[in-house]
Amino acid sequence: MVGAGGGGRLPKSSKHYGLTALCPIKLGTAPGRNSSYEAVVRETLAGLDSHERSPMARVPNTYLARLYILKDVFYEGRSQQEHLKSQYLFFGSDFHGELEPYLRGMWENIEPEVRLIWQHCVAFGSSVNSAESFVDYIKKCQVSNTFLFNGSNDRPLAEQLKGLYLKQEFGDFVASHQGASDDELRSAFLSFAERVQVTKLDGPTWRPGAQTLESARTHS
Amino acid sequence: MTTFEIRSGVDLHDVQGNIIKGYGRYGFPVARYVTYRINAAVAGRTFIKLLVPMLTTSVPWSESGVVEEGTKQPPSTTNVALTYEGLRRLGVPERSLLSFPDEFVMGMRARASILGDVGASAPKNWDPVWQTEDGQQPVHLLVTINAESSDALAQRYEEVGLAARAANDVAGDSAGVQQLAGHRSAGGADAAFQDGAALRDEHGTPGPKEHFGYTDGISDPYYKDSGSRSSNVIGGGKRLRDSSPATDAGWAPLATGELLLGHTDEALEYPAAPVPSTLSKNGTYLVYRKLHQNVATFDRYAASEAAKLSMEENLFRAKLVGRWPNGAPLASFPTEAEANAFNAKLEQAKADRFDETATPTQRAAATERHLELKEQQSGFDYREDIAGESCPVGAHSRRANPRGSLEFGQDHAFSTPGALVNRRRIARRGLPYGDSSDRSVDNGDHGIIFMAIGASINRQFEFVQQQWMNFGNDFRLGNDQDALLASWPDEDIDPLRARMTFEVDPDGMEVPKICTGIPQFVETRGGDYFFVPSLTALSAIARGAVDPT
Amino acid sequence: MSNVAGKAQALNVWTPTRRKGIENRIIFWVLPRFFKKKLRGLQTLSLIHYARWVIIAPKDFPNLGEGQPTEELRHHYECFLSNFNGNWDQYIDSFSMSLGTGLDMLWFKNVGFPNSVPIEPFHAYINANSIPTDHYYSAYPLAASNDVKAAQRVRDSLVTLAGSASGMSPKQFRQAYDDTIRKHQDDISRLDESVIVSLATEAVQNQARQEAF
Ligand code: HEM
Repeated sequence: MVGAGGGGRLPKSSKHYGLTALCPIKLGTAPGRNSSYEAVVRETLAGLDSHERSPMARVPNTYLARLYILKDVFYEGRSQQEHLKSQYLFFGSDFHGELEPYLRGMWENIEPEVRLIWQHCVAFGSSVNSAESFVDYIKKCQVSNTFLFNGSNDRPLAEQLKGLYLKQEFGDFVASHQGASDDELRSAFLSFAERVQVTKLDGPTWRPGAQTLESARTHS
Repeated sequence: MTTFEIRSGVDLHDVQGNIIKGYGRYGFPVARYVTYRINAAVAGRTFIKLLVPMLTTSVPWSESGVVEEGTKQPPSTTNVALTYEGLRRLGVPERSLLSFPDEFVMGMRARASILGDVGASAPKNWDPVWQTEDGQQPVHLLVTINAESSDALAQRYEEVGLAARAANDVAGDSAGVQQLAGHRSAGGADAAFQDGAALRDEHGTPGPKEHFGYTDGISDPYYKDSGSRSSNVIGGGKRLRDSSPATDAGWAPLATGELLLGHTDEALEYPAAPVPSTLSKNGTYLVYRKLHQNVATFDRYAASEAAKLSMEENLFRAKLVGRWPNGAPLASFPTEAEANAFNAKLEQAKADRFDETATPTQRAAATERHLELKEQQSGFDYREDIAGESCPVGAHSRRANPRGSLEFGQDHAFSTPGALVNRRRIARRGLPYGDSSDRSVDNGDHGIIFMAIGASINRQFEFVQQQWMNFGNDFRLGNDQDALLASWPDEDIDPLRARMTFEVDPDGMEVPKICTGIPQFVETRGGDYFFVPSLTALSAIARGAVDPT
Repeated sequence: MSNVAGKAQALNVWTPTRRKGIENRIIFWVLPRFFKKKLRGLQTLSLIHYARWVIIAPKDFPNLGEGQPTEELRHHYECFLSNFNGNWDQYIDSFSMSLGTGLDMLWFKNVGFPNSVPIEPFHAYINANSIPTDHYYSAYPLAASNDVKAAQRVRDSLVTLAGSASGMSPKQFRQAYDDTIRKHQDDISRLDESVIVSLATEAVQNQARQEAF
């Protein structure tokens, strides 16, 4: 479980992958600006839309993801003080599936945003120009997890979202069909099943990243 | 046996009496809550100086012959509490003020979105006395009086008023401390004070009912060294793992620091407290909340929804709260017949206990019986009822105090079954107000002056209100809210959103019942967060001698 | 900048550790086994979607050349990353009180770690060593970990029920339906937006909404 190389998974049989990547940000002043590259990256992150409009909402199988900047390490007051020489863009993602297809999916779906976010990272501009090179790049930045905890499940995102949709719709169905006769119940359920399409994962379902019930349902 | 712990780790002379004593339980059926504004520091400090000798402490009252120590029960009690703005105006130094926790500094109004005070409960709909023009807390000082009779109440109110006038004379400022009117009452919106009173039964005897018809004020947390009867640990303490909840071996006293600042708490430390320690030690916080009850809507909904779900209305009412209207807990008495039989025994023992014609021996025996039955009223948990087939998982009193049930049947998941509960307990010290004998309208003057006491408003009251009443995740109930207290931003809410499930035995043949379209039964009408200083701290404040240096 | 995505909150904690590789291997070998038995607490608490601990040795900091300086650090660093439900300030008591010894093991030998009980020093330690998230995304801001799990159970049962309903008589269907809702009586509770847990987060969201106009 101290994963060598890949190191995003525990146990190996799980379909939940935890990607941890530290991408060094270029040092110095960003061209044409009075600020550091780091400040530009931070500004870019702040400008990203959130929730259903976050670029990560378009990356298949992303459960939860985050980006932040590791500016330095902290001093605890008890040992010799030390500092990082670079600042790092931290990219963490919990997702379903294998690393390489996941990253390829990311490139394919949000390439412009990937370029925008990573453009000021060391060696990104010089080496990344395709899905494969993006995969290689992130793998170079990846650090192995020591321990990964799954308090949820490792199903494909589409199943999780369909489940949430069904939980909500079925709950409403049950609450509003108390006291129905056997006949009524069965026929009401059949039309319910027809409407919600229990086994169909691509719809009706909840929209990834939806923050309100209204926008969750616009997908269905 | 009734024994009191008098000698203990807490100086009960220093602790205000409303913290430890639920006055309602001691035969004080009437109360008056008087709100003041402090315009001149000198007048405010003098007022406090004059109030200190009148204050009721937590020293136990002697009960005929049972204890040797303790003071005699007075005809009325008096206590005082201060808001942040009150402390500021009294001249408490900035350094001390800044050491109070955020929520106290902000006050209850500013916490509205945390508390779910929206829609009908929004601050703009509160009583005039709680309205503010300059954004500052309008009420600075609260005097609470509880009394055995209206005469005793009136007399003490008079005396408090005299003290205020005397303070203003000293300060040479007739509005130095100013009593703030603006409490809504049956007579209009401008009452000079808020009255509270136990509801009376058909014989005019004050009792423990609240306006929806439930017996209230049964459960009461039990803290180490609090001087109350040690058998109150049953149901009142924290749940231990291996003994029955019906016995005192099943419970241990909560750490004193859950109730009082300056004492160690359940996290084995002193709770965060303002400086200097003389200001905070033996003090605590009081949440004062006026909660209006829509009795007509409640009655109508109980009748119609019970019919819709083919249930006895009394059972329906019991499921909402987790106790039968007569007070018997659903967890121990799942059927009405059992609950009624139990309650009849309890009432009989109580009558015998106070029967003047009986011999002292008979009365002592009845007292013993009565206390034992009261233990049964509190000595239960939900660990045999994880699914909620007797007491619904979302019932009001189960939400408010899940006892051992948040291990969800996973014995030993946590080091102690109360791990998630012991830091969330609140001592309730309020009383009903108004009259709801006309059950056909909602807009009469009736509700509860809800008062919650504890060492951290944020960790205890606000957490319970927000996470346990207005939300359901800790109980694995999604966004379901407490049925009694649910509040909604507007009236036309999707009926399927406002619901509650009455669970059944998962291995049985019945199906769960789901109430839907639960209307808003309770509306917040005002209140604030108060600090209840020790007598030591009050004297220091009165002298202008609080010095955190 | 927000650590909040609906019902999920992000936590990023970086602390120097004096733990050596071998100690790590032992702890993290023991942990999953420990999780199964003793730390059932974390599963029962059920407040976490996904979490991870990453021990990063000085040589593990990625170096991509192109003049990037080599890190010269003495310590290993422990990076803890969590996606949990509720507000950290509010739920720290729940974590500490229910998981105490487990948490102590995870931060064992980390410089300055004060143990998880008493809570005030632990709270201060985590706050001091936390980094705010610049961009946080959850695929289901409306769902807590409990909800995702309940949803999966409901879906699994519905697949069966819907698959067989048309071939059943109304009476047979009633029985199958009743069995299903009995089994999922609390799994079908209503989902909605999170309650407001932090006034600061509420203010940030309101400002963002205003700026959108
Ligand atoms: C009008 C509003 C309310 C009504 C009618 C009401 C009614 C009741 C009733 C009938 C009981 C059971 C009797 C007992 O155990 O003493 C109870 C218990 C309780 N309620 Fe309320 N309540 C109200 C508001 C609140 C609020 C706002 C809170 C806290 C946020 C709260 C917290 C509690 C607690 C802690 C218990 C004791 C649970 C236990 O220890 O078993 N109540 N309430």
